[in-house]
Order: sequence, then structure tokens, then C-alpha cells
Amino acid sequence: MNSNTSGFALSAAITILFNTTLAWAKDADPPLNSLMKSLTGHHWTTHGLADLFLFIGLGLIFSKSGIAEKINPARLAPMLAGTVVVACVGLALWYLFV
Amino acid sequence: MSITASDVILLAHASFGALGCLAALWVFVEALNARPENAARTRGAALATAVCMAAAWVLGGYWYIHFYPAEKAMILQGPWPAAHNLFMETKEHLFFVTGILALLLPIATREKLDSSPAARKLVLFVSLMIAVTGLAVEGAGAIIDHGVKVELLRGPLKGNKP
Repeated sequence: MNSNTSGFALSAAITILFNTTLAWAKDADPPLNSLMKSLTGHHWTTHGLADLFLFIGLGLIFSKSGIAEKINPARLAPMLAGTVVVACVGLALWYLFV
Repeated sequence: MSITASDVILLAHASFGALGCLAALWVFVEALNARPENAARTRGAALATAVCMAAAWVLGGYWYIHFYPAEKAMILQGPWPAAHNLFMETKEHLFFVTGILALLLPIATREKLDSSPAARKLVLFVSLMIAVTGLAVEGAGAIIDHGVKVELLRGPLKGNKP
């Protein structure tokens, strides 16, 4: 697997976890939500841009540094699937109970 | 018949989302049968997935910011407030996951899937997760829409204008 694929796959896993954590944080902390709203006019726009910049930025860094290549390529897919399951369950339970 | 900009944007958003899910399933099937002969087709389908999901992202975001507040108010005063509190809140953040995976797919399909089992496994997982989360988000959209509908249908019963 080349460095671009492993780098961006690792970046996607981190971005998905960041996305879930930011959703919890801005819901629990109204000042953070207001700050995000003030940056682009809407908290959702800021959230999406933060995810995009993080995914692209980390992907480029991991691809060039070769950090992600140290991860067993066979483990990348299950790791990414695990983060998606955490995001799905984490978001649904948060908005169901909090 | 009166078709507003809100209608066009909302339906285009849902349509691009559905097309993105179909394109992701196409990538999944191509990756299951990965050979040198279908590599270009797999990459084309992955690009179609990313383009459709990006279009769904932009259109959905525009509609959510400019048109959703009025519908949100209706949902919250109606009998299905969970259509917003649970389904829209989850959908608007889960969609970012689908979007990020859709952007990853064209990068992952640049690998030689017929000779790299790890890359093929990654493409299979990513394309399947795009389809599953994308369909979950589509389903949530239908529930949100129904949350508005049940409040509008309740209008005449309450003596309100529908």
C-alpha cells in the first residue's frame, strides 16, 4: 500500500473521531457553539470546514512523513471501520440521551 | 404546480446522496472482482462517489442553513420532536463521516487492487461504509420530512390553517 493511501486512511480515522468529539463538545458547551457560529456564520459550516482541513492536512503530513506506513496495512480497514462504528453509535446515543 | 428553490435544492441533495450510495456499491462490486481490466472502471466509480457526495454535502449544507430553521420550528412544536432532536442532530454530523470516506475512496482506488489484498480490503470496507452510512442518513432525512408532515397534518385538527 502506498504512502498516500495509508496516510489518508489514518487521517480519515482521526478525522472521524475528531468529528464525533467536536459534535459532543459543541453540544455540551454553548460558548464553543457560539464561537464556531461566529467564525463562518453557522456552527455546522465551521464544523465541516474543520473536518475537511484536518482530513487534508493530516493526510498530507502522514503521506509525506511515512508515519502511516508503520501501521500494518491489513489493520487499516478494521481500524477505520471501528472509528465509523464509534461515530455512529456515539452520535446516536448522545442525541438520544443527552 | 409551484416548485421553489428550497424544493429543488432539497431534492437534489437527497438525489445526489442516493447516487453516491449507488456509486459506492458499484465500487464495492468492482473491488470484489478486482482485476487489471476493471481498475479504470473502479477508479471512475470512486470518483463518481466522491463527486456525488460532495454535491450532496454542499446542497444539503446550503438548504440546512437557509431553509431548515422554519421546518425545525414546526418539528419542535409538533408530535415528533425527535425528528429534529435525534434524527437531524445525528444526520447532520454523521454525514461528515460519509463525506470524509467518500473523499478517501478515490485515493484508495489508485492502488493495484488485484495484487494488494490490504488495499482491496480497505476499498471494500470504505465503499460499504459509505453505502451503509449514506443510506442511514437518507432514512433519517425521510423521518425529518415526516416530522414536518405530521405537524402540518395536525394543523386542521387543532383548528389551524394547514
